[in-house]
Amino acid sequence: MFDLLIEIGQTMRNNKLRTALTGIAVAWGIFMLIILLGASRGVRDNFESNVSADDTNVLTVLGGYTSKPHKGYKEGRRITLKTSDMAVIKHDNPRQVSSVAAFASVDTAKISTERDALTNGFKAVYPRVLKGNNLTLKSGRFINERDIQACRRVMIIHEKNARLLFGDDKDAVGKTVRSMGLAWTVVGVYSHPWRSQSYAPYTTLKSITGNDDRAYMLEVVMDGLKTEQDGENAEAKARESIAKNHNNFAPDDRGAVWIINQFTNYLTNKAALGYLDLAMWVIGIFTLLSGIVGVSNIMFVSVRERTHEIGIRRAIGAKPRSILTQVVAESIAITTLFGYIGVVMGMITLEIITSMFEEMKGAIVDLDIAIKVTLALIIAGSLAGLFPAMKATKVKPVEALRDE
Amino acid sequence: MIFTLKDVNKTYPGIVPLHVLKDINLEIERGELVSIMGASGSGKSTLLNILGILDNYDSGEYLLDGVLIKNLGENKAAELRNRMIGFVFQSFNLISYKNALENVALPLFYQGVSRRKRNAMAMEQLERMGLADRAHHLPGELSGGQKQRVAIARALVTNPSIILADEPTGALDSKTSKEVMEVFRTLNADGMTVIIVTHDPGVGAATNRIIRISDGRIEPAPSHV
Repeated sequence: MFDLLIEIGQTMRNNKLRTALTGIAVAWGIFMLIILLGASRGVRDNFESNVSADDTNVLTVLGGYTSKPHKGYKEGRRITLKTSDMAVIKHDNPRQVSSVAAFASVDTAKISTERDALTNGFKAVYPRVLKGNNLTLKSGRFINERDIQACRRVMIIHEKNARLLFGDDKDAVGKTVRSMGLAWTVVGVYSHPWRSQSYAPYTTLKSITGNDDRAYMLEVVMDGLKTEQDGENAEAKARESIAKNHNNFAPDDRGAVWIINQFTNYLTNKAALGYLDLAMWVIGIFTLLSGIVGVSNIMFVSVRERTHEIGIRRAIGAKPRSILTQVVAESIAITTLFGYIGVVMGMITLEIITSMFEEMKGAIVDLDIAIKVTLALIIAGSLAGLFPAMKATKVKPVEALRDE
Repeated sequence: MIFTLKDVNKTYPGIVPLHVLKDINLEIERGELVSIMGASGSGKSTLLNILGILDNYDSGEYLLDGVLIKNLGENKAAELRNRMIGFVFQSFNLISYKNALENVALPLFYQGVSRRKRNAMAMEQLERMGLADRAHHLPGELSGGQKQRVAIARALVTNPSIILADEPTGALDSKTSKEVMEVFRTLNADGMTVIIVTHDPGVGAATNRIIRISDGRIEPAPSHV
């Protein structure tokens, strides 16, 4: 084995330029493969960290228009969700539904202080929104269950708005804003890259607006969803419950109640990301393939150039198999050596990309990829060397006697 | 009898098939120093190839040390060559990127001899050829005579019973030719069978028996010196 390595080292040193040129093709192929795999890994990790498992167990329910007649009612009627739907959904599936939240938005409300005013209204929500909307609390707290129960007039505002209303976002907590003709206490300040609306407890809004039953949107948090079938069953059950409560549309009328099933979406996306990974492998392998064809080509040239030498080796007792082994091993050596140069370059590049773009944070090459790439290199190298090697074994020892 | 050829024929196929060896009958005894002489194209190199199991023949029989050599597999042929025959070529046929020692040790590599052992054996042969101080030189750094002695050392390293030399002095001046021939004579004196293909009458004269070949046939007149 050691002797074989020395032999390979000698032939490679003997043909530096040729070896280097071939190597670059392989290194480039592997470099691309690493970049692609790293990037796809990054996209997936990013997706998985953004959408943690309990965030995905959520059905977002919106009112729609009936698509078929039911109990004498015509189709095409608008269905508005009710606050009472929450309790029904929870009651019908006590084991599967862990909580139900409702949303409403007051788009026209003005929020003001003596200093300035906001005119983009506020959202009436449940505590879960903090996590659901990915908000980061800067100071104070978010809406809690006590706020919901006691219908407290509290508000959470964006740090930018806090600066607008109070001049400084640090001492906004505890101060008072006016909205809908009432005084509200600011209990928290949050930050988010693009969200900026203010939040207040859902029940507070309902108590102010005279307890009309209308809800804009429901959010049903489920427990123990495993498969796509679980997700679809949960969706169907929630729709049935709402249909039972409203009693004016068919339980299987998908148009009447829109349900955005984040769990099945999550599964679909996850599968899609699996395909992304596969696609990256395919693209990477094909890029690598051009490098491999290069290696194969150069090995053919090498065998041709060394016909005389192979003849000498055969004349002094080399068996065809040792010639075969040598050519294949040389091919594997070139592929692996330059392949790893490609791997290192790829990893350095990924590090740079990762440090430059926040979104690509997961773009790393782990042991799993390294092993797969090593296998790919060895297989590729032996394939590249096989045909030239088979040609080399056809060299007759008589070649040694032919003068150069 | 180390070499026995009976009615050996060899034709190179082609548009006009070339009948290079015609009914060759030849016997060479163990320990002989023989030269095969003939003009170029007479078939002497083809004969050497067949003797060295580098090439096949079409009909007849060739026995090497009592073993019929016919349609051997590549592996068997390689093994026999490696074990029994040492080759010396006109153009030395040293591998240019290996130093003298590595070149000499190469046949042992194919026998699977360990690195340390084969380097020791190769060094021994180089010493025998008086080239111990050149062991780590590349062939390009050696003179013609030195290269040929390295090649002879390589032929001897497996301790074969036969040396086949194809125009071993063809690329050397007359002085070094004499030296090289002296080496062959010494080897022969040690009991080795040496067969030299040449067209140089001087080389032929330095051997004990000349086999003349012309137009694919061995000339009947035996000439013992």
